[in-house]
Amino acid sequence: MSFFSVQGITAGYGNRPIVENVTFDIEEGTLLGIIGANGSGKTTLLKAICGILPHKGSCTLDGVSLERLPPKKLAGLSGYIPQRSGISIDISALDVVLMGFNPQLGLLERPDASMKEKARAALLQVGLSEHENENYLHLSEGQRQLCILARTLAADEKLLLLDEPESALDFRFRYHVLSLLRRWLREGERCGLVTLHDPMLALNHCDRLLLLSDGKVQGMLSPGSDPAERMERELSAIYGPVSLQRCTGRDGKSHLIMLREEK
Amino acid sequence: MVVLAVAGLFVGKYPLSLQALLSGDEMQLRVFWTLRASRTVVGVIGGFALGAAGFVYQTVFRNPLASPDIIGVSSGASAGAAFGILFLSGTAAVTVSAFGGALLAVGAALALSMLDRSGKNSTIVLAGIAVHALAQTALMGLKLTADPERELASIEYWIMGSLNGISIYSIPGNLVLCILCLVVLFLLHRQTILLSAEEGEARMLGVSVGKLRLIILLAATLAVSCVVSMTGLISFVGLLAPHGARLLTKNNRLSTMLLSGFLGGALLCGADILARSVAASELPVSIFTSLLGAPFLIFLIIRGRRAS
Repeated sequence: MSFFSVQGITAGYGNRPIVENVTFDIEEGTLLGIIGANGSGKTTLLKAICGILPHKGSCTLDGVSLERLPPKKLAGLSGYIPQRSGISIDISALDVVLMGFNPQLGLLERPDASMKEKARAALLQVGLSEHENENYLHLSEGQRQLCILARTLAADEKLLLLDEPESALDFRFRYHVLSLLRRWLREGERCGLVTLHDPMLALNHCDRLLLLSDGKVQGMLSPGSDPAERMERELSAIYGPVSLQRCTGRDGKSHLIMLREEK
Repeated sequence: MVVLAVAGLFVGKYPLSLQALLSGDEMQLRVFWTLRASRTVVGVIGGFALGAAGFVYQTVFRNPLASPDIIGVSSGASAGAAFGILFLSGTAAVTVSAFGGALLAVGAALALSMLDRSGKNSTIVLAGIAVHALAQTALMGLKLTADPERELASIEYWIMGSLNGISIYSIPGNLVLCILCLVVLFLLHRQTILLSAEEGEARMLGVSVGKLRLIILLAATLAVSCVVSMTGLISFVGLLAPHGARLLTKNNRLSTMLLSGFLGGALLCGADILARSVAASELPVSIFTSLLGAPFLIFLIIRGRRAS
């Protein structure tokens, strides 16, 4: 049985379905990238999986059906990082990270010293340790995104859902965040789903790619092992004619470059 | 707040002195216990409740302009008080009627909001606007039937707010309920902060958004209802005190909520001292809460800008 399984998810707004009958499985330690054109249903799929949107179908994580869980249990198993956090009050970066421990706390309990230590360690991991007492609203968009990532890392959930985390990050932090994420996923019994706008980032950092088009699964790729021709064909169906080139960095690592081809 | 509360015990038309009180002067003691102590206790607890509840409203609704009016509690209390003035007799009866009106408005707003199962903040606000409009209509209807010389003046005076003639001994239940609600609000401070995130985000942090928001808003609104049913409408305290506290502490921790309560208490006690001492007859307290509050807020904003 797979570590995380999604079966026949259909979800949308009102009576209009945005994603239809999405099914896939991933193994422990996997980072699955969800890519597709604007409006293809990436965010809707993520929101349905984490239970924010009502949906048909089922999600099973390590043998547990997510649909049957009350909010607190669900939050204890899965963490969600939205495109932009809705926090709009004056609150320190450390307090934002401490919010992630809510599933472990009783209604009237407060985070203890060990939680504060973990929160500080998570801020250090994402490079924000110097900002722990700074007002979250005074951080840059990218730093806020890192702070929310720290909140999820500190809470140590099995399933991590990230909605376009690269949108607010500069070149340096995009690679930093995705590398950090991959490392973190492999350290324990975890898996991650990330929607990405940039297919090259997805090709080079995700173990597998789910291609969405008009709310339906167009295909599933494994960039590390699939032949370039097959990947070109599948990606061209979404982005128009593209070609993939392999190049090797000075560190000897192989990277995939996607180029737009004229018809 | 403590200084203003103590000052409030001794300021008024009938001069009190500590020496006379300690020597057991009967008249002084009667004025102290029946008039001054009552209004000071209501000033302290009422102002504290308005300040703390304002903090909760602004945080839960993620709106710096949110106040108890947002779900129609003030207009419900006004309509209830007008009903009491017209059809019942005695100050205590008017207070009970105002409290009933406020509860009815809050109940109606929350029940209406529950018709929409999405449980969005905007639904509660819209339901509050609808209830506010209905309560205003009821108030206008009651005013039309009021005797212009006596009853209409009483209604208008009640709406402007005053601590005059309040006796905590005749309606102690109001204060007890208000304190209980405040205890609940302080215990749920961490949950209130979690509700300041977007609904989906809060749910993913393990918060039962609908249930918790209902409990917190109900406690905040009950606390405010308890106060306004005794004092009439008191403007600006619930709006200003949380802003003042945040400008001073630059965060939204429990200490800020506590400070918000203390600022609310200080503002109401200060305004009450002025209301009973600047003119020959007592003036509505809301005039002074606005008069003291607005410049204080402007001062804090300017100070905050300079500091940043």
